[in-house]
Amino acid sequence: MMMKKLVGRGLIVSMLALSIQTAGAGMIGADKAAAQADRSMVVSVLTRAETASQLQAQGVDTRAALERVAAMNDQEVSQLAADMKSAPAGADGGTILAVVVIAAAVWYFAFRK
Amino acid sequence: MNGISILKARVRAGFAVFAGCLLALLSGCAPLGQLVPQTWELRSHWPQGVPQTVELTQVPFFPQDEFQCGPAALATVLAHTGVPITPEPLVSQVWLPSRQGSLQVEMLATPRRYNRISYVLAPSYADMLREVAAGNPVLVLQDIGAVLTQWHYAVINGFDYSSGTVFLRSGTQARQEMPFTAFERTWIKSRYWAMVTMPPDKIPATAAEDAWMTAVLAMARTGDGASITTAYETALRRWPDNLQAAIGLANEHHSRGSLITAAAILRRALLAHPKSVVLINNLAQTLSDQGRHGEALTLLGQADTNSPFGEEVRSTRELIEQRIEQQRSALR
Repeated sequence: MMMKKLVGRGLIVSMLALSIQTAGAGMIGADKAAAQADRSMVVSVLTRAETASQLQAQGVDTRAALERVAAMNDQEVSQLAADMKSAPAGADGGTILAVVVIAAAVWYFAFRK
Repeated sequence: MNGISILKARVRAGFAVFAGCLLALLSGCAPLGQLVPQTWELRSHWPQGVPQTVELTQVPFFPQDEFQCGPAALATVLAHTGVPITPEPLVSQVWLPSRQGSLQVEMLATPRRYNRISYVLAPSYADMLREVAAGNPVLVLQDIGAVLTQWHYAVINGFDYSSGTVFLRSGTQARQEMPFTAFERTWIKSRYWAMVTMPPDKIPATAAEDAWMTAVLAMARTGDGASITTAYETALRRWPDNLQAAIGLANEHHSRGSLITAAAILRRALLAHPKSVVLINNLAQTLSDQGRHGEALTLLGQADTNSPFGEEVRSTRELIEQRIEQQRSALR
């Protein structure tokens, strides 16, 4: 299990390193031209790898995790790590049971003689 | 009536009593203006230029599978912009198994994989209505739990002012009708979170320049060259002096070897932003790539050496000087 996780992480780092894109030689990218604050927000390959492996730990397969992180900008990558635990996750279901229990209780007290 | 249907009727009655209690409780606690502040506002201030009835009937509908409102809602807005897609392939892209749901940040990121640009709207009823009126279905995050929190994504594709109704593609309902007030109560919990996805040649009706450019640049990370080029061109048409769009567009042309076009775009942008070190650096690089090294070096001399891009400027200068040196030794 431990081994599998390590292999997964190594794979993620190597695949991310391959996918780093740069603007043409000598050209500064448009994303760099934004407010200076953005320059300090550069998320390293390692942070992206870490976030991808967190996704993996949440049940997403390795390749899918990498592709999901790749579609995010730096700010979103940082945010995702925090969001995974507590941010709203649009779902449906889950509280149906609670609703049924409460409705049954209302019925029980209101109508049962 | 058999036993089960009696039970059903009683449960239904129980619900009605319960809902009645809840409503009494709510309205007893706070005036309506606080419960549904934006609906309240709309009563007297309907956004200017927005028609009173809109329904985008052409927006497709994908009934969701269990828990998977995220992929279903995303497929709805993506398909509306012409992406041939269903919810199934989106599950592995946006659904988080451990949470049995989809996160907002991933809802925003996923459309970029289809060369679409995601944009978060201002937390405003008026902006949402404006987008729908402009033909852009709006994906919203609601809390539809009766008691406990239950997050849910749905797509607004219409509204009717006179009856105070919002129309949604939601869950298994192709045309859910919700009163403005009820909808606001479900929407307020997500702090009015709403997004639109746009094809690269369109800009949302309520887009702000900086926020839109951030959205375009995020798509440009992974989008294909043609879509990225179109997105920058579209942004430049709307905001001709936008620095990032000019730089991005020039870079796209440069990477394809269209050096003359790249240089022309950078020169035009320099008129509006004469001090931009990025423009100076990139134009110098482009000129040098065209073999115009002397011109490039002169231009580079105008760059502020204390700018945060000092390092990049230095290495561009070194490259150009190397090229000049190579030329000289070749001539010798």
